[in-house]
Amino acid sequence: MTALLEIREKIKEFYSRFEVYILPVVKFALAFIVLMMINSRMSYMARLDSVPIVLIVALMCSFLPTGCIVFFAAIFTLGHLYGLGMEAALVVLCVYLVLFLLFFRFSPKETLLVVLTPVLFALKLPYVVPIAAGLLLAPSSMVSACSGVVIYYVLHTILSGASNLMTMGDDILAKIRFLLDGIVSNKAMIVVAGAFAVTILVVYLIRRMSVDYAWTIAMITGAILNIVVILVGDLIFDINVSAGGVILGSILAIVIGKGIEFFRFCVDYSRTEKVQFEDDEYYYYVKAVPKMTVAAPTKTVKRINTQTPGRDRRVETERTGRRSAGTAEYGRSGRSVTIGSTRTQEPAAEYGYEDGYEEGYEGEYETEGAYTEDGYGAEGEYDPGEGYDGEDGYGSEDGYYDEDETT
Amino acid sequence: MLNDKRVILMTRLAAYEQGDGKKNVEIGNYFRSDYLAVQILKSVICATIVYALLFALYVLYDFEVFMQDLYKIDIIAFAKDVLKYYVICVAGYTIVTYIYCTYRYIRSRKSLKAYYQNLKKLNAMYGTEGSQPEATTGRTTGGRR
Repeated sequence: MTALLEIREKIKEFYSRFEVYILPVVKFALAFIVLMMINSRMSYMARLDSVPIVLIVALMCSFLPTGCIVFFAAIFTLGHLYGLGMEAALVVLCVYLVLFLLFFRFSPKETLLVVLTPVLFALKLPYVVPIAAGLLLAPSSMVSACSGVVIYYVLHTILSGASNLMTMGDDILAKIRFLLDGIVSNKAMIVVAGAFAVTILVVYLIRRMSVDYAWTIAMITGAILNIVVILVGDLIFDINVSAGGVILGSILAIVIGKGIEFFRFCVDYSRTEKVQFEDDEYYYYVKAVPKMTVAAPTKTVKRINTQTPGRDRRVETERTGRRSAGTAEYGRSGRSVTIGSTRTQEPAAEYGYEDGYEEGYEGEYETEGAYTEDGYGAEGEYDPGEGYDGEDGYGSEDGYYDEDETT
Repeated sequence: MLNDKRVILMTRLAAYEQGDGKKNVEIGNYFRSDYLAVQILKSVICATIVYALLFALYVLYDFEVFMQDLYKIDIIAFAKDVLKYYVICVAGYTIVTYIYCTYRYIRSRKSLKAYYQNLKKLNAMYGTEGSQPEATTGRTTGGRR
């Protein structure tokens, strides 16, 4: 475990140091993968199906806002569908417009999920979406996830009926009727979208609860619920879903969810502390769960310079020390001691704790009391869930600055 | 000499201003009724466009039958039906918008309140250090009507 925590700290340190470069590279890679997948599965328009064009667009996406990946993906799909038939492009354009006008304005932050969902469907990992969204995002991500499901199934329906569409000749109305029939009668789309929405909501609600192992309970419950809803939907609507595939996919989603938990919410419940205190206005019942962190190992260089008149000798030795992960961003690279003139250039570096653990609190704070201000109500409970380390990093879930955090 | 606490506070404030704060300040500049009115107006426009799209697809789906029946059916009754469904769709979407935007407005107001408190705290820090207190950059935002 310690080795894993060390690796995590190294990754975090690496990311924080090179974030400026990593983000564009990730965006470029994501855009490239998405566009290449679209080209490989559709390829009805030869002009778009070219690697240089994909590279140029992906490069543009690397420095444009994340939503542009969605925009270009939509343009590419519409282009290919236009190559297949104007009717297909028209129908899909209508679907995009409906989703854009009705839903995306409510969850602009999670727009990327609209692209990731079809990509994960194509990679046979669709059940990761509701688990990961419930763990990492707000309930409004339901909208984006369901939109992604709709887009995937619409495109899937059109592509699976592409050969029929080509043989229909010039009968525009028949083509449109054929496409709309395929989309409207697609019960699998409705069942999967419903399952994803319910799963996201349940995972979100459970992981915010103030119980031990809330994240693990949330992802297992979510996966089971997802399986149940899809299988019940299969029984009712006969959508021909492979039960084994759903179960295996959900198990895989739990494994990936555990990976997400390791990076996002790694706490040590065995060292949970519960304290109670009061001030003039409130009683506080605080449950503090320490984060599991470990000091990142670092290499320090000890330089020994012997300064003899007329003869300059320099001895360099290396040794491995431990540095507190928290000090990594200050760029201290160890200590440097000069022996000879016996002058210490820098004070001895502070290394991390001997046992390799530092305590930082990823709190689950429960407070009760009579709140008379700020509209919490007389019996109100203020339970910020993830406590001082809120989702947006400003101190609490809704962007408050907590006084304790700033002092 | 650098004051660590002040630097931390300033960093957090700056990060907030460039992140969620930008949107929250934008929302906070409206009175609640104005903000909701704008959002509902947008919703009505969006719902109208979507309804028109769906109606067009409905007509196209069975265009030949629709054209044959056009002269047989009671146009007024048909128009009333179309209008009835339009009102239901727009009203439903508007209610959802109203609930969501009210929640978002309250949340951003709370967030801004905490932000301005921190700005005051920052101002007080300058005061206690003996330097000239700087005016906070916070704007006066609209209140609830």
